Amino acid sequence: MSLKRINKELSDLGRDPPSSCSAGPVGDDLYHWQASIMGPPDSPYAGGVFFLSIHFPTDYPFKPPKIAFTTKIYHPNINSNGNICLDILKDQWSPALTISKVLLSICSLLTDANPDDPLVPEIAHIYKQDRKKYEATAKEWTKKYAV
Amino acid sequence: MSDITITIKASGDKKYEITFDPSITVANLKEKIGEIADIPASSQRLIYSGKVLKDQEQVSTYKVQNGHSIHLVKSATKTETPAASTSQPQQPSSTQSVPSNISAGQGSFNPLADLTGARYAGYSQLPSASMFGPDGGMNSNLPDPEQLTSMMSNPLFQEQMNAMLSNPQMLDFMIQQNPQLRALGPQARQMLQSPFFRQMLTNPEMLRSAMEMGRQQGGAGATPSFPAPGGASNDTEQDTNTNPPPEIPNFANLFGGANLFGGAQPPADNRPPEERYESQLRQLNDMGFFDFDRNVEALRRTGGSVQGAIEYLLNN
Repeated sequence: MSLKRINKELSDLGRDPPSSCSAGPVGDDLYHWQASIMGPPDSPYAGGVFFLSIHFPTDYPFKPPKIAFTTKIYHPNINSNGNICLDILKDQWSPALTISKVLLSICSLLTDANPDDPLVPEIAHIYKQDRKKYEATAKEWTKKYAV
Repeated sequence: MSDITITIKASGDKKYEITFDPSITVANLKEKIGEIADIPASSQRLIYSGKVLKDQEQVSTYKVQNGHSIHLVKSATKTETPAASTSQPQQPSSTQSVPSNISAGQGSFNPLADLTGARYAGYSQLPSASMFGPDGGMNSNLPDPEQLTSMMSNPLFQEQMNAMLSNPQMLDFMIQQNPQLRALGPQARQMLQSPFFRQMLTNPEMLRSAMEMGRQQGGAGATPSFPAPGGASNDTEQDTNTNPPPEIPNFANLFGGANLFGGAQPPADNRPPEERYESQLRQLNDMGFFDFDRNVEALRRTGGSVQGAIEYLLNN
């Protein structure tokens, strides 16, 4: 069941991927993928390519996939282990969602962070108090780790 | 091999159709793209299926299929670096610097490097690099206790402290740095991980008492009633017979300085006990210890620690 669905998502992604993300299996194991997200042009992450790892549970799509950044990124909702604080990856997951949609959600999270539900309170604090400083640091991290 | 046609998706919704033989190398493909997309091959990055295509590989190794799309990202030209070191005059504690991160395990493990990094950017009250002397020690006049106390009571700082103490690598580091802890073996780890110890380190009241105690008792053998591995850094004045405080400069610095428990001494507190221990006495009163003289005696013996004083009062 899960394999069939994963295969379908894979072929959809290959044929018509979203403009800013791409994903596919790492090796022969279809339950372990890697993905890349191009930093949105209107964000401090512009120009960077961020890699993520995706692990599908065996009961996918009834349980959400586990997605984490493998590229370091300075963001209020993404911590230093790459874990992403995103509702649709947790309690708001729906079997109707696909990897492609999730990746797009992560893209929009990069453009519009959610500092009111932060994973890294310090960054959220700076994001709220001193947006320029946040953008400068995010740009610098992007340049250092994702370009 | 038969030719395949793929779509190149570039930024700004630009799309290019390109037909080629998949047995060519990625470098060849980039040249082909360069002809139509006006991006030199050297600054192209091609991404397919979440992977960056490597120049020397054949396109077919990535199993690119007919009709599929490859993403094209323009990367910065390589001459741009090293931008970080020249673009702005950086202070060591500047939030601009990108920290080597503990959990990411990059580089050698150095907890202090993390302290000056961006994770801590919000803490304007953190000890900054200016407080460190030329040899990495602390200036004796900084930080003043008030500043330190306010830092300690900052919830963000406490949270970090908790995070630090729950990081096994950090604990190992602390234990490694400290001969006394090392001698304790696995117990040291247990002690550091115990909720009590953690509470002690994150409780501003407790820290203040500890600081007061340090101030009153001077440098030598300062910590009998306070089990924290607080170290004085000034070993020249330490007599080895008087329970030499452990050498853990990093740890001591984390708490704002070696003068916390010893080393450079602020002037002795000459105020009368009811004034000096005002808040502690009030706490003891609230808890039902009404004997003023005994309370003062207990507080004196424990250097102002309410917890220690209670223990003393209950045992004597």
